Amino acid sequence: METVLGVRGARHHYGATQALDGVDLDVGAGECVALLGPNGAGKTTLVNQVIGLLPARAGSVRVCGGDPRVASTRRQLGVVQQSLGFPNTLKVSELVVGAAVRAGKPRAAAGPVMAELDLTELAGRRASKLSGGQKQRLQLAMALVADPALLVLDEPTAGLDVPTRRRFWQILAERRERGAGVLLTTHLIEESSAVADRVVVLDRGRVLAEGTPDELVARLPDRTVIARTVLGLERLQALPGVVSLRNDGEHVRLGTRAPEALLRVLLAQDPGLTDLRVEGAGLEEAVAGLIERGVA
Amino acid sequence: MNTKIFGVELADELRGIVREPAALFFSIIMPVGFFALFVSLFGKFSAGGVSAGTTMIATFGAFGVISVVLLNPGIGVASDRERGWLRAKQVSAVPISVTLAAKVVAALPYAAGVLVAMTATAAVTGSLTAPLPALLRVLAVLVVGALPFALLSLVIGFQVGAGAAAAVLNAILIPASVLSGLWMPLEIMPAFFGDVARFLPTYHLAELARAQLTGGPVLTHVLVLLGFALVAATLAAVSYRHARS
Repeated sequence: METVLGVRGARHHYGATQALDGVDLDVGAGECVALLGPNGAGKTTLVNQVIGLLPARAGSVRVCGGDPRVASTRRQLGVVQQSLGFPNTLKVSELVVGAAVRAGKPRAAAGPVMAELDLTELAGRRASKLSGGQKQRLQLAMALVADPALLVLDEPTAGLDVPTRRRFWQILAERRERGAGVLLTTHLIEESSAVADRVVVLDRGRVLAEGTPDELVARLPDRTVIARTVLGLERLQALPGVVSLRNDGEHVRLGTRAPEALLRVLLAQDPGLTDLRVEGAGLEEAVAGLIERGVA
Repeated sequence: MNTKIFGVELADELRGIVREPAALFFSIIMPVGFFALFVSLFGKFSAGGVSAGTTMIATFGAFGVISVVLLNPGIGVASDRERGWLRAKQVSAVPISVTLAAKVVAALPYAAGVLVAMTATAAVTGSLTAPLPALLRVLAVLVVGALPFALLSLVIGFQVGAGAAAAVLNAILIPASVLSGLWMPLEIMPAFFGDVARFLPTYHLAELARAQLTGGPVLTHVLVLLGFALVAATLAAVSYRHARS
């Protein structure tokens, strides 16, 4: 598989804070790689190096063999940002046509991409007047019209409704079949589990784990005990067999490989436990567990 | 520079001006309005064979052109930074210098419009005494000479938000204009104004334009403006790198 993104030993620091500490990462043609990790893990710094906003102070970042700091290399890149405010004065069609010309494509390339993303009827509308979902589709259209070898998507589906999200991934799947690689950062871990071929977990500037979603899930707890309890987090963390712990405000989610033993202790310590259920652990629990353990 | 890409960038900037003209409307109305007031009061006075109304095209014209190129690119860049649009441009295949050049060039037709409006006002009030070639030289000097001010505008645009950029740029423009004699001739101002003016590029641009009408010396003004351009370009490059990383 041809490599469209190659990162070798990437380092970056902000003052005394080491944001990236020797990261290696590859994305192949047609492959989707999800970059996961807590806030401050180094995801944004790495993405900024990949899209050419930051220099690699040590190591190297190559997009299709070129330096993304060079404008001509960025013709191979399509970027969708988490939130982008479009100029108040430009219309949808002008933005997509402009993106095509900037990427060295004919103006006529805009039409099919706009149709693909259901933007044709919005062509004459000011981009700043679009809804959140429409704006994300417009950003994707501006990225796709360049027919990039690598798409970098930063929380691309945040705020989108479910049908729009499905359509978004369907379009990207078609582009991947044609050879585009995808680097995805998202907080929607279950979504990345569904769409990514590989997941890379970053923490404190290092690659903590890497593999297919199934491989990562297999490495850590295979069950999640969910309940509403009066027990504090410290006490829950100390329970036998707990490998990950999260509190969503209403319920606690305890990742474990020994759910029976954990349930016995949990019920003994909190007889008033409610809303109890046990689920198969997903990628979210696996990532949380990896980060908690600092497993490399 | 790829002309097609520059064309797209320039078209976007011009659309921004045409579709939201409020800011530039005031950039034209204010200097032209001031000019109309002063030229109707003093325009027919004459010094050295040139009417005051004609020399005011150089001084008020300098104010009008500088206000357009100083305010608009910087506020535009600051707005683009705030909304993430500049970042989108930075990660596109377009060298950022092309984007910034388009912002500056897009302001030039407006700047020329200010000068045409002032010349027409002087003509209507009967105080226009310069021949067309001299007026064209004034226009060329002011439009080209104002470019370093556009670079200074970008410096501010890279450093602060859109609201602050408007305030900071006006805080530079208005005092520099008054101190350089762009509104009122330095001859009727306290001597202190003239002492300060010699250090201001706004003064040298107006004097270089006035020299096209009066035949005065130009070398000092050209050298000062070239030095200012060098400093502004250096600051713009440093500011861009600071804003980028």
